[in-house]
Amino acid sequence: MISKLTYAERETAFAIALATLVGGLALGIAGRNDVLGWQGVIVVVFAIAVLRPLMSSYYEPPVAEDRKVTYYDDPTKVGIVLAMVWAVFGMFMGVWVASQLAWPELAFDGAWSSFGRLRPTHTTGVIFGFGGNALIATSFHVVQRTSRARLAGQISPWFVLFGYNLFCVLAVSGYLMGITQSKEYAEAEWYADLWLVIVWVTYFILYIGTIARRKEPHIYVANWYFMAFILVVAVLHIVNNLALPIAWGQAKSYTIWPGVQDAMVQWWYGHNAVAFFLTAGFLGMLYYYLPVRAQRPIFSYRLSILSFWGITFFYMWAGSHHLHYTALPHWVQTLGMTFSVMLLVPSWASAGNALLTLNGAWHRVRDDATLRFMMAAAVFYGLSTFEGSFMAIRPVNSLSHYTDWTVGHVHAGALGWVALITFGSIYTLVPALWKRERMYSATLVEVHFWLAIAGTLVYVFAMWNSGVIQGLMWRTYTGEGTLAYSFVDSLVAMYPYYIARAFGGLLFLVGVLVGCYNIWMTIASAPLAASEKTDAPLLPIAVPGE
Amino acid sequence: MDFDHQSLVLFAKSWGLLYLMGFFLCVVLYAFWPSNRKRFDRAKNSILDRDDRP
Amino acid sequence: MAELLHRKLERSAVGFVIAIIAAASVGGIVEIAPLFTIDETVESAPDMRVYTPLELAGRNIYVREGCYACHSQMIRTLRDEVERYGPYSLAVESQYDRPMLWGSKRTGPDLARVGGKYSDFWHVAHLINPRDVVPESNMPAYRWLATTILRTDDLPKHLAAQQALGVPYTQEMIQNAARDAYGQATPGSDFTDGVTERYGEATQISAFDGVTTQVTEMDALVAYLQVLGRLTDAAHGNAAEATSASAPAP
Repeated sequence: MISKLTYAERETAFAIALATLVGGLALGIAGRNDVLGWQGVIVVVFAIAVLRPLMSSYYEPPVAEDRKVTYYDDPTKVGIVLAMVWAVFGMFMGVWVASQLAWPELAFDGAWSSFGRLRPTHTTGVIFGFGGNALIATSFHVVQRTSRARLAGQISPWFVLFGYNLFCVLAVSGYLMGITQSKEYAEAEWYADLWLVIVWVTYFILYIGTIARRKEPHIYVANWYFMAFILVVAVLHIVNNLALPIAWGQAKSYTIWPGVQDAMVQWWYGHNAVAFFLTAGFLGMLYYYLPVRAQRPIFSYRLSILSFWGITFFYMWAGSHHLHYTALPHWVQTLGMTFSVMLLVPSWASAGNALLTLNGAWHRVRDDATLRFMMAAAVFYGLSTFEGSFMAIRPVNSLSHYTDWTVGHVHAGALGWVALITFGSIYTLVPALWKRERMYSATLVEVHFWLAIAGTLVYVFAMWNSGVIQGLMWRTYTGEGTLAYSFVDSLVAMYPYYIARAFGGLLFLVGVLVGCYNIWMTIASAPLAASEKTDAPLLPIAVPGE
Repeated sequence: MDFDHQSLVLFAKSWGLLYLMGFFLCVVLYAFWPSNRKRFDRAKNSILDRDDRP
Repeated sequence: MAELLHRKLERSAVGFVIAIIAAASVGGIVEIAPLFTIDETVESAPDMRVYTPLELAGRNIYVREGCYACHSQMIRTLRDEVERYGPYSLAVESQYDRPMLWGSKRTGPDLARVGGKYSDFWHVAHLINPRDVVPESNMPAYRWLATTILRTDDLPKHLAAQQALGVPYTQEMIQNAARDAYGQATPGSDFTDGVTERYGEATQISAFDGVTTQVTEMDALVAYLQVLGRLTDAAHGNAAEATSASAPAP
């Protein structure tokens, strides 16, 4: 990979990595009397891990490569591997914290291993580690193919990828040390947040630059979703994380948003992170890899445009449905509820569009587990967006809120939609990128598919049951008009479901391990002859007229 | 803040709705404009052109 | 016309970016902007005091250990919640909360009004091993809090940062932050009077973990738990108004 860089590019890469190392040193020294110092050490170690391979092949002669006729796929390859590593880590953490709810001794009396500190390592690990790396990797691939242009940078893709992973590592290691803002799905502290801003702006410029190079007259709709993802996540991240550190040498900061405003900002962020991170980005994947895998164009391009703007417009308003019956003003709650229900229209338009694309190719869905991953993802997307709109209705929310039903809903989306579409895309992408004819084992893809489906269903049904039971027990009255159950009664009723949930999660994790093995063996197998497949951008002369 | 709460809420409730409807109209116009059909057809087929086999 | 505009927007990716911002940000602005003038409509609570340095340190431990992942601090306006946990929460009650800790999940009960419900001794025993007190509990044990000395030297910086953001801490409170933390957890010491002087007579002075020779993280966390819902009485007039959206009595 380094051999493909020119000497000048290696110099730039070296300078950036060195600057990161110096930054880490500075952080370590400034924070020597605080846990912040250890975060500095992590930055230094990370920078050295990047510098070492760079240094060792620094003076190797550059491999001649005609960049006009090749796509730049090395960052995508590394991104996919990183996504799978984070998937294993994040889902292992998930199974562990789920087990702690059934067997609290599994915290082993450690501070770092208690539920409250591990839980964000699970959420960050799967959402940002697994999901984020998968999004970065696939967006790099999709934007090049759909634009018929090479990435607009040689070093910046690596900076985005490694910089993003440094953020994830800082965040996760910080939680274990007790560094957290407590903002759900944005727990990382100010220094990591600042770093992510730099990385994300680079990502945005790189993406826009690549699109500007395109030889296609029209920007393919998958890129719309990826661009909305990059852009809106930047806005959300900055607004939600505005904070004042108590000192430059300390990790702790206080958010500038007080009380009720903080609640609204946090859930505006939280819900739109679901919208633009976990929905828009992955719809970008869906709109590219599903047609490609099925070898059929998307059912209705118009519908995909309408649903794009619908999702982009409506989601922003929906966050306040997380705060029904709270101290948030009533009209804001109503607004959130209304838009959440309206969201069903563009959401189902997307899901329906995906399924109708497969209409006429159902035999392929039956035979090809990779395509089935994507079909199941579209089905789960449709189901969980319906459930989401339903749960946003105020009276329903009075029952579901604060219970495991919410957790079940999130996982129907996260496991059923996000993870399945990602695995479908990765199984499509891995043979194409590494120039193999197919995955190492079609049977193992099949095994992974059924483990993932079984795990998701066990998980979601357990949480539906426990959530509804919990919600009902809390509001059940005796004939005398007193509350029928104590809180502890409701907790005792949860134990069987907590065990079932951990088991469902375990099935899903085993599926991911099977997937990792399969991917590994595919990469390790012999490549096709070089002449067989070329996957190159069109030459500039071949600009298609409109 | 220079604005009082009531006027902000009023603004949100009236112009917000108008904005929504206007936006909706623009998007529908764009999606269904006859001359766009060709571009969309080209776009949706272009990704299948010469990619790696699935 | 609209079509022409769109084609232009789409040709240059930059125009497209502006369109996305227009679609996505307006909703947020319209919905959130009025919240910044909300103090005009929110109840006022002139009796409300700020967190003492010890309570603030305890709050930060609550944040650090991720307690909010399982405990909410927001009683909704539902009959069963009001009967189970107390008067429903008001916006004004979290006016000094940075971040807010309303929470999203009740694996354990709501804590918005847990202050004063149990003794200090109960809290300490419960935190050291929850199952000693509640055999069915699945809460983690927090033994190490009782043996970890609380860091107090940076408390002035915490208060100063809060003051800069608009929490009404005085210079005197900031300067005495570390002493006040010690004084609140050490009844009868030279620094105790300063705490009640600055934060009011109602401030609970106690050897929260039962040991006065050192101020531990246990002291701070229990001090925080004991003040939850007790910074103001503003909410206690509304108990009767709770909407009855819950299932009615059979």
